[in-house]
Amino acid sequence: MTAIKRLLKVRELSSLLFLIALFVIVSIINPSFASSENISACFNSSVVYMLVAVGMGFAVIVGEIDVSVGSNLGFVATVVGSMLRDGENWLLAFAVGILIGAAIGLFNGWGVSIMGVPSLIFTLGTNGILRGAMYVYSGGAWVENLPKAFKDFSSVNLVGDLTVYCCGCIILVAVIHLLLTKTRRGRYFTAVGDNPNGAVLVGISAVWTKVAAYIICGVMSALAGIIFCSRIGFITSTSGNGYEMKAVAACVLGGISLSGGVGSVVGAAIGSVIMSSISYLLVFMGFSSNYDNAITGIILIVIVVTDSLMQYRQSVRNRHERLSARTAGTVEGGASK
Amino acid sequence: MKQNASKAGGPNKLTKGLKNWNTFLVIVLVLEFVIFGAANERFLRIPLLLLSVNDFISICIISLFVTFVMITGGIDIQAGSIVGLTSIVIGVTWQDFGLPIWAAVALAVAVAALCGALSGFFIAYCRVQAMVITLGGSFLYSGIALLVSTLSSTESYQGISGFPDSFKFITSFKLFDLIPMQLVIFAVLVVIAYLLLHVSKYGRQVFLVGVNQDAAEFSGINSKLVILSTYVLSGISAAIAGIVLTSYLGTAKSDLGDTLTMNIITACVLGGTLSTGGKGSVIGTALASIIIGIMRFGMPLCFDVNTQYLDIPIGILLIVVVVGRAMVNKPRTAAILAGLKNKFTGAKA
Repeated sequence: MTAIKRLLKVRELSSLLFLIALFVIVSIINPSFASSENISACFNSSVVYMLVAVGMGFAVIVGEIDVSVGSNLGFVATVVGSMLRDGENWLLAFAVGILIGAAIGLFNGWGVSIMGVPSLIFTLGTNGILRGAMYVYSGGAWVENLPKAFKDFSSVNLVGDLTVYCCGCIILVAVIHLLLTKTRRGRYFTAVGDNPNGAVLVGISAVWTKVAAYIICGVMSALAGIIFCSRIGFITSTSGNGYEMKAVAACVLGGISLSGGVGSVVGAAIGSVIMSSISYLLVFMGFSSNYDNAITGIILIVIVVTDSLMQYRQSVRNRHERLSARTAGTVEGGASK
Repeated sequence: MKQNASKAGGPNKLTKGLKNWNTFLVIVLVLEFVIFGAANERFLRIPLLLLSVNDFISICIISLFVTFVMITGGIDIQAGSIVGLTSIVIGVTWQDFGLPIWAAVALAVAVAALCGALSGFFIAYCRVQAMVITLGGSFLYSGIALLVSTLSSTESYQGISGFPDSFKFITSFKLFDLIPMQLVIFAVLVVIAYLLLHVSKYGRQVFLVGVNQDAAEFSGINSKLVILSTYVLSGISAAIAGIVLTSYLGTAKSDLGDTLTMNIITACVLGGTLSTGGKGSVIGTALASIIIGIMRFGMPLCFDVNTQYLDIPIGILLIVVVVGRAMVNKPRTAAILAGLKNKFTGAKA
């Protein structure tokens, strides 16, 4: 019984259960959904979101937010896409893309962590600059005619119906999760997000941990941008728009608290699968894709409101327990006197 | 001795003036006029300048009341989607449900107020972060707008048009044959917002809730209701922006306000509103939103900047302002600044 209770407290697990419940319900309504092909498709299509959401997860776990990931993704995709189109070396293009992502992350980290600007506002500014820079770089034109081999690589299956990207992404998330939870440095992130002053008192540099989180976030978005090129095959001037909001939503769905310190990247990854599957699942349930945004919004609001109410009730109960324990102690103390 | 005192008084006054953020904003605004005017004299033609108001009036209107939300320590990123929702509600109820146009408008305002109240309720009474709820709200309300648009017989990408003249009158009428009605609406809203925030008791409550919600609660303010009310206000202002935009464009579309969010937040922050709450002013926000608007108008006209590049200067403006303000507040840079000032005044003496 206690084991079950403890398991239910693992926040990622409840989002995983939610995802499984979603799949089961859709399969009951429409039995043709229940095939490994369809479920794999849900995972395959979430790769780009997953990378962005995991990156965002870092920023959120340290208690900040990064709304420039969408345009970061778009900008990197534009640069890498046009380099590939012009026949540059693939590795060089990827390296440039990732360096750009890291530089953007460093800039955000500088502004938010070192200068102490509120993160939402600073990254909103970065978002605007990058979005504009994307237009300037591409001249407003689409980036097309990417090498066929590069595009075809996105549909190579590795395990069953899962693509190479999807498997790579899952392995990456697993590795990051282990690094975050099992290594000393990895746990700094949660510590800083949970209580920055406390972290500083025990000798962790909150400033540099946040900068590192932003750089990781930038690099993950850049990776997502490169995979975006490969999967979609063309980049418009609005590519990557709105990814930041979906990534935040994925983090919240995956049990990461926006006040920092709670949650894991696995949760973010599961949340991103939920987010990107919704439109796919709606089709199987016989709704038009017009319901997409409304249902996403409802799920998001319902989940955060329930979570918040449950947390509040828990904190009230804890306080009552502490209070009754203390009064019991004083009564005993009084009796012994 | 006396001379010294008067000399010390000079720079003191100057720094005090500069510290007053609104003065700084006015200077920026004047600079914009000078630079754009010098680059292209067409910029200074009054009718053209007044016509440009249409492009950014919704930013001005909404940011006025998002300032309220930010003063309480919240944030509102759903206002843009409420603009689209009001627009499409007006269109569909008027064209397909046959409501009279003013009833449709009233209904749209009520819907927007309800949207704001719903988000505000979750934020104030369920203690969820404002960012998350308004994020969910922006999905939800734009999704609802899309669903409402499917009720119409008109294809959603075309937009519903053919509104009666009395509705178009809102934006086609010109006071003294010169000043467009939108500006009048904006001016009236500035006055209302100013009275609400800086004169009335309600405004004091908004500030106190932003500074310290517990203290506000202990001093007998229903802080949750105050927080909820700010979201209702910002929802209503988004509805007004939606009405003005629909009337000006002559078409109702569900995605009208999609790109406004960044501009609104920029206007609030540039106007001196503290995103952590407790500080902000209506005049500052109004000035800042006009600065942003003039920039959006002047850049393409005078320097041939593509309108799609406009995110760059606005993003840079936002970052420069917030970083600059953070730098001034840092003890080390403050010390350097003071040293510079001493050196400067010392050398002068």
